[in-house]
Amino acid sequence: MKTHSVVGSLRSLCFYAVFISAMLAFGGSPVWAAPKGSPWGKNYFPNIELVDQDGKTVHFYDDLIKDKVVAINFIYTHCGDSCPAETANLRQVYKLLADRMGKDIFFYSISIDPKHDTPKVLKEYAERFKVGSGWRFLTGRETDTTLLRKSLGLFRDGVEASKLGEHNTSFMVGNESTGQWIKRSSFDEPKVLASLLGRSLGHAKSGRKANLASYASAEKLPKMGRGEDIFRSRCDSCHSLGNEDGLGPGLQGVTQRRDKAWLARWIKTPDKLLAEKDPIATDFYNRYNKILMPNLRLSDSDVEALINYMEATSKNP
Amino acid sequence: MKKTNNLSVKENVDKQYTDKGEILSSKTNKPIGLAVAIAALSGCLAFTLPVHAEFNIPTENGLNPVPVPSPLCIGDKCAYEFEDKLLLFEEFGLENISSSDTSSSSIPLTFPVPADCDGIPNGDDLDDFLREDLHSIPTRKSDETDAHELITATNPWEAKVKDCLGLPTDMAMPADGRPTGEWFAHQRWDEFPAQAYFQSAQTGARVNGGLRDKKQLHEYKVGEFRAPDPDHGDPGGLYYVDADGDGKPGNEGLSIKLNHNLPTQDPQHVWTFDGTLPPKLLMARYGEAILFRHYDALPIDPGANGGFGKNTISTHEHNGHNPAESDGFMHAYFYPGQFYDYHWPMVLAGHDSINTGATDLKTGAPDGNGGITRVQGDWHETMSTHWFHDHMLDYTAQNVYKGNAAMMNYYSAIDRGREPVDLTEASTGISGSSGRLNPGYGCHYMNANNANLCLPSGSGLDWGNRDYDMNLVVADKAWDSEGQLKFNIFNTDGYLGDRIAVNWGYKPYVDVRARRYRFRVLNGSVSRYYKIAVVDQAGKVVPSYMIANDGNIMQHAIPFPNAQSTQAWPEQGIAERYDMIIDFKGMAGKKLYLVNLLEHKDGKGPNKVIPLADVLSGKYRADGKNGDPGVGKFLEFRVKGCNGTTTCSDFSMNPAEYQEKVTDPVTKKVVPGKQMIPLNKPTTQELKAAVHRSFVFGRSNATDLVPWTIKTDGGAGLPADPTRVSAAPQLPSTPNGLGKVEIWHLSGGLGWSHPVHVHFEEGQILKRGGIAPPIWEKYARKDVYRIGTLPDSTSNVDIAIRFREFGGTYVEHCHNTQHEDKAMLLRWDLEHPGQTLAIPTPEPDWDGVRYDPSIYLPTAKTGDVAAKQAFVLP
Repeated sequence: MKTHSVVGSLRSLCFYAVFISAMLAFGGSPVWAAPKGSPWGKNYFPNIELVDQDGKTVHFYDDLIKDKVVAINFIYTHCGDSCPAETANLRQVYKLLADRMGKDIFFYSISIDPKHDTPKVLKEYAERFKVGSGWRFLTGRETDTTLLRKSLGLFRDGVEASKLGEHNTSFMVGNESTGQWIKRSSFDEPKVLASLLGRSLGHAKSGRKANLASYASAEKLPKMGRGEDIFRSRCDSCHSLGNEDGLGPGLQGVTQRRDKAWLARWIKTPDKLLAEKDPIATDFYNRYNKILMPNLRLSDSDVEALINYMEATSKNP
Repeated sequence: MKKTNNLSVKENVDKQYTDKGEILSSKTNKPIGLAVAIAALSGCLAFTLPVHAEFNIPTENGLNPVPVPSPLCIGDKCAYEFEDKLLLFEEFGLENISSSDTSSSSIPLTFPVPADCDGIPNGDDLDDFLREDLHSIPTRKSDETDAHELITATNPWEAKVKDCLGLPTDMAMPADGRPTGEWFAHQRWDEFPAQAYFQSAQTGARVNGGLRDKKQLHEYKVGEFRAPDPDHGDPGGLYYVDADGDGKPGNEGLSIKLNHNLPTQDPQHVWTFDGTLPPKLLMARYGEAILFRHYDALPIDPGANGGFGKNTISTHEHNGHNPAESDGFMHAYFYPGQFYDYHWPMVLAGHDSINTGATDLKTGAPDGNGGITRVQGDWHETMSTHWFHDHMLDYTAQNVYKGNAAMMNYYSAIDRGREPVDLTEASTGISGSSGRLNPGYGCHYMNANNANLCLPSGSGLDWGNRDYDMNLVVADKAWDSEGQLKFNIFNTDGYLGDRIAVNWGYKPYVDVRARRYRFRVLNGSVSRYYKIAVVDQAGKVVPSYMIANDGNIMQHAIPFPNAQSTQAWPEQGIAERYDMIIDFKGMAGKKLYLVNLLEHKDGKGPNKVIPLADVLSGKYRADGKNGDPGVGKFLEFRVKGCNGTTTCSDFSMNPAEYQEKVTDPVTKKVVPGKQMIPLNKPTTQELKAAVHRSFVFGRSNATDLVPWTIKTDGGAGLPADPTRVSAAPQLPSTPNGLGKVEIWHLSGGLGWSHPVHVHFEEGQILKRGGIAPPIWEKYARKDVYRIGTLPDSTSNVDIAIRFREFGGTYVEHCHNTQHEDKAMLLRWDLEHPGQTLAIPTPEPDWDGVRYDPSIYLPTAKTGDVAAKQAFVLP
């Protein structure tokens, strides 16, 4: 602040008051990890206290984001449709970035339902999704997490204040050290997100992209049918078309194993079948770590296209 | 809006805010220190007492819910409206590409390297470098010379980049940022060899070093740009500039300030072409292919951005009929130290199929000498007012807001930028003084065989006179307590600034002559729409005419106000261009204003139109508390006479004669008016055969409750994915084919507003909201289509669009660039006949560009069959 006017002095005073109280609150010397001139540093993010799935207490700014490339979303573990789909999709990203997770890239899923989501509950949730290092599930005081959601632009008053089910399913990816933050949705292609986190945001530490092709090996024009399209965008984060299990069962031969009408109903309204305690549905739920099959709001023709696609691929594995 | 029940808190905060509002909206009372101190204090208190302002401008997010107005007083200096002169655009200036090429001078300079990781190159060094010829021969492919030799030039910043970022020392780093190989090779490179070039570096704010002072077409010698000549009693033109007052004309010495009493912008907060103001203008002619070598001279450290903006860039020439590799695909971006060669062929649509012998008398470009250089193609496709700007994935809004935007005027036989000196010339093209026949100078209004519409411009130059033809970019800005530009990256519904700037000046004024002017008005905002009225100082609406919509001259001039828009111009969404003619005749000594009537409450989109009377009377309080600070007067015209009188001669086109219907002066009967560029509608047969595609912009299905998406052809709502091809129209199967017409259905809204932009080809609106479009769209060729709930918008628009000449990877997106960046964007590929490979997706990095495979949506070829069946042709 170069000015010596009354405004300048008062603003400085105001600024320093906030700054000093922040220092008192957090202790330690002020280390400005965010770049010079960036407003998105320690003085911006609330350094709230959170507890992870192992019961460890951490501070949001100091321990979770400072100098790191991160993805942050907000969940609640008994959420029916959006959270499992969201977490499953993020898990695909996690797998693509596996060798860097926990080193320079970190995922945080923060509960917006702290009363229910104790560290123990979060631990179970994490285990169900089979994710390991570099992805923490956290909980904290509701006023704190709300403040955090506001700071990340993931909270809209009046819409989300009360209803868990209408919480913002977008999430932020960012690099604290460069002050860059981008809002993304969990329905983005995992590959796009992995590229954003691993390369664009973190390219100071780029691990190089050996898996990229040169133009000479461009693929033939792919002829993708509707069923394949839906499968790719909605299903394959949990299911393979072969025998191997993901978060859900592999789907080889599923159209022969199951009654078509039942299968269609299960794909379209899994929540209803579970509520009705349908025996097969309940068995799946128990066998696959109590991860709810989400209701993806597919239309009848979407479901038909999916079943046809699964049938075709089962015949010609 | 959430209401608090705690009245005492609410009153308290209201009062603080009112204090601030009064101070900051003060126009006549000089703020005093104490009052400012209260304002500052209230800003501090507001942090501790969060309430929710009704007008979230400049846009904040939930953390600091009370917006902080951009201070007009900093230190002991205050900025006032209509105090600073409007900056007029500075021409890049084109140079000829000689066949021998590249720096003939002894030892060419290398691209100057910044001293620091968070710095930019020295300005003088950069100017010296850019003053030289092209430093390498432009090539068709980025990795191979046209003689098929490998190009191995390395990024001149290589050592510095590796040092700053800790990259491996053996990593190869190419100088050329364009993707390698055939897919992003220049199409039809030998057929349209670049004849002219310009080069610029995108870099941080600095003082204008006069790089382009000698590149202005007018050379500060003619018309309103001429220098004063006291010896002969000539006061000079209205637009003569000598920024540093050294007696030499030009912008040398101009620093980047939004007002002379506001601080100079620092190099991290503002990034522009050359790093300088004024904003830049490219003046281009049909038939003269252009090569634009764009250098990235932004900081190597991605965090050295003042909190917003990305140091990798991609440049989109908005609505150019350009091949895809030069269209600024959002995933064909390049890095600091690199350049990208954009090849803009400057050909008319229909080049391959219409007027292929280049014999048509109206299809051409100024030849520089009174004549017309004939070109191939369809003169009905003539374009006029464009802009080019950054199109970087995820960062378009931030980078454009930061200054990565320039304008571009296309000059043609029709729109030459030259008006006649007298009626003889207007009629015959014979110029009085020389008696020479100049066929390019005769005016259409005198003889329908003359190509030149003689729009308001000037007559000192053969083409491109800007004396009475002015580019205006209107954009809302916000700045922090130290006066540096600010942006909120955490509010992704849309970002609004609270201060309206024209050509980067906060509410400036401009002197004009008492005659007709053409204003090329671009909405260069991130999320703000405008609805602009023209009024005199008594508040009376002054007539104006729209001659071009989205930069395309229409069949008829549209008078404003009119029955469908009674007070002002139509809403103007982001990126829309309206070319307007205003006649200041008879108004010498008066002041007129452009007034914005469109209110926003937050970045989500425009709220409503405020009655002009309420805005002018002050009943509408645009103080940020009771009203949108972006509403109100934002540009002042001060009308001057000519040669010591109150009148000026004016032989430019009178738009009134070009209205849809005019009254015959003799018979007094209503008859059809003259036509500027008749709309070349597709035939009924073409429309019947068209492939249909539908694109729904908005929130998606229930499970996708929140994220922005686009649903294509009835499919699922999808966010942006650079590898996904959502539509794949086809180029004509024969080389001289007319190009297939498609019908695209754009819809969305649901309380939001989206200005949808389709790259490459403009379309014609068949229906708006299911019925015929309003008069200003009826005769228009558009490239931005507003969908939403405003009076001049509808939730759906049906357009006809035709593809020809160039192919490749293009995009379509919402031009509320915050929505675009948050995924409301899709890729479409225009396929060459017989194409069997999917164009792979470039993945640029410091060590070059590689490719990822691309995928097609199942409907990419067929489009929306159900929509085709349901659609009834108008």
